[in-house]
Amino acid sequence: MLSRVLTARGIPRFFRSIDDRREKIFMKKKIRVVVARLGMDAHWRGSIVVARALRDAGMEIIYLGNQMPETIVETAIQEDADIVGLSTLSGNHMVLAPEVVRILREKGMDEVNVILGGAIPPDDVPRLKEKGIAEVFGPGTSLKKIIDFVSGPI
Amino acid sequence: MSSLFNNDAIEKIAREKDQWQEKVYQTAEKGEKTFETLSGSPIEPLYTPVDTAHMDYLNDLGFPGQAPYVRGVHPTMYRGRTWTLRQLAGFGPPEETNKRYKFLLKEGATGINGVFDYPTLRGFDSTDPFARADAGRGGVAIDTIEDMRILFDGISIDKISCSLVTCQPICNITVQSMYFANAQMRNVPLDKLTGTSQNDFLMETAITVSPELLPPKFSFKLSCDAIEYCTKHVPRWNPISFAGYNYRESGCSAAQEVAFVIANAVACSEELIRRGLAIDNFAPRLSFFLSAHSDFFEEIAKYRAARRIWFRIMKERFGAKNPRSLTLRFHVQTAGVALTAQQPLNNISRAAYHALSAVLGGAQSVHIDGYDEALCTPTELSSLTALRTNQILQLETRVTHTIDPLGGSYFVETLTNKMEEETLRLLDEIDGMGGIVKAAETGWIHNEISNSAYEYQQAIESGKMPIVGVNCYQMEDEKLPVELFEVPETLQIQEQKLKKIKNERDEAQVQDALDAVARCCEKDGNLMEIIVEAVKTRVTQGEISHALKGSYGTWDPPLF
Repeated sequence: MLSRVLTARGIPRFFRSIDDRREKIFMKKKIRVVVARLGMDAHWRGSIVVARALRDAGMEIIYLGNQMPETIVETAIQEDADIVGLSTLSGNHMVLAPEVVRILREKGMDEVNVILGGAIPPDDVPRLKEKGIAEVFGPGTSLKKIIDFVSGPI
Repeated sequence: MSSLFNNDAIEKIAREKDQWQEKVYQTAEKGEKTFETLSGSPIEPLYTPVDTAHMDYLNDLGFPGQAPYVRGVHPTMYRGRTWTLRQLAGFGPPEETNKRYKFLLKEGATGINGVFDYPTLRGFDSTDPFARADAGRGGVAIDTIEDMRILFDGISIDKISCSLVTCQPICNITVQSMYFANAQMRNVPLDKLTGTSQNDFLMETAITVSPELLPPKFSFKLSCDAIEYCTKHVPRWNPISFAGYNYRESGCSAAQEVAFVIANAVACSEELIRRGLAIDNFAPRLSFFLSAHSDFFEEIAKYRAARRIWFRIMKERFGAKNPRSLTLRFHVQTAGVALTAQQPLNNISRAAYHALSAVLGGAQSVHIDGYDEALCTPTELSSLTALRTNQILQLETRVTHTIDPLGGSYFVETLTNKMEEETLRLLDEIDGMGGIVKAAETGWIHNEISNSAYEYQQAIESGKMPIVGVNCYQMEDEKLPVELFEVPETLQIQEQKLKKIKNERDEAQVQDALDAVARCCEKDGNLMEIIVEAVKTRVTQGEISHALKGSYGTWDPPLF
């Protein structure tokens, strides 16, 4: 079962200290990934297939369905996420994906990487990276490539 | 009885075939490949009369335009009239899409296929905070009846058949009402209108789930309200198009695609009969929307099997008599999910093969995807190329000259029988759960599709399913040889129009209209009757959705 948090609830936890992170490495805590579809995008296939592949690779997945940047960030904080995976095929990526990075950084979550998958025109990729998206996975990307990236050195 | 072969001949052929397989085929070089359909059903090296020997020609195949309609729904099929060229189009504000419609019609399209943007499909106004980033994306933005007026301005809606891809019932109930109300305001009587709307509750609850969904049973109710309304007032309109295409795009197998559309149609039929309509009143206008995926022969078998299953269910389960109730008519779109972002011009060949399978399977109308499908909304050039591919198929290949040319192929008939068997098994399973609405409520449908999608991706991953340019024949540092489409500015235009309309309209009238919607929900009346009038006050789509959600509540779909 993929765990699921709908909207932010309760008091947000403080973000992790460096010590927490060390502990995670030593104790081999599972990597925690928040997966969300941006805005109104209708396509769940990619996000679900990637979420399942990451889960099968031993990670913990918090699957949000459609959400806006504020809620995605709140959830990432509450769930102590290591990485945020965004998916969109609707074309809203230039507006909403950088917004997730911006709010994360504003809240001091400097270590949480944001990755993006979906129908992203190649010309947009460098522009997204400039705005802090760690990696963009376009159509046809292999699951292995995504798993390798997410489980790579934090 | 009309057996295809005599028993003696079959016995002899069976013996000879065994011999051939053992002594000739098995000893020849053939590698270690596995041979199976895209859905994973094994394929034999050779099919012979033995595989179809149990079939009864008249009972199982028949003639075009006659039961069980396997060979086609019309007596003359494409010799009489070729399929409708219905290219999907919609993007940005209605002003821009109106120009694209006129362009496609000028270039020989014979119908309009209008797609709406993400906010419109989900019942949101362009200016809703959740919607702003998606306004005009994936389709055209419609907020009020004024947008509908602009969208069809200068297009003869009394003559041109118009398909409205109003996927979710919460969209359809308002957007289709706007189309009807706009027609009335143009003095076109409703009984002159021809077209189709999508209006499929599975699109709202299992396929394209989005924020703030209506619970399945209410989404289903809205869908049936539109069918009931059209049966009474817009008799030439197909009020629902069961969206198997989208189920397939989400990850279904071919048999799941057919089983889910038919289970959905069965549920609608039962509900409309419960409301007092006769099967032959509404069933002639139930229509289907199917995919044409990469497995050429499996797709052809799928269309043929779907016709036979539908015929038998309509006849045996519902006692339908009108031949139009008994025939499964369908629109096909070539599979977007089978197209690649890599080496995008290859998609022109892919989509042409997909479309050929639809035509050999007897489709009534065909949309061919643009080669840039995996990258962006189609440009004018990619739309035109797709339209031309359709025209080449229709005018140059001569595949239209005889009816059901693959009928009688040992292989295709065997695949058709297998597809029927697997589909019937799934239909039984859904019946056992209490029908398709229950299956959506429990999340079973979503789960089935996501399992299939995962298997599909694993097959690409392992290389078991070769995709040219993706897991074989990749090119390093590929330069994109195509221009990408930029969605024109939409939000500002919609925002300005909405502001103006909200200043001008009579707020008391709008409030009365919204109250009427809420009252209708309470007394379980037909909402389309109310909303066709309501939209004339220039109430927005979002305001109506809000009223519906106020009455029915929202639903979080169960996940896996």
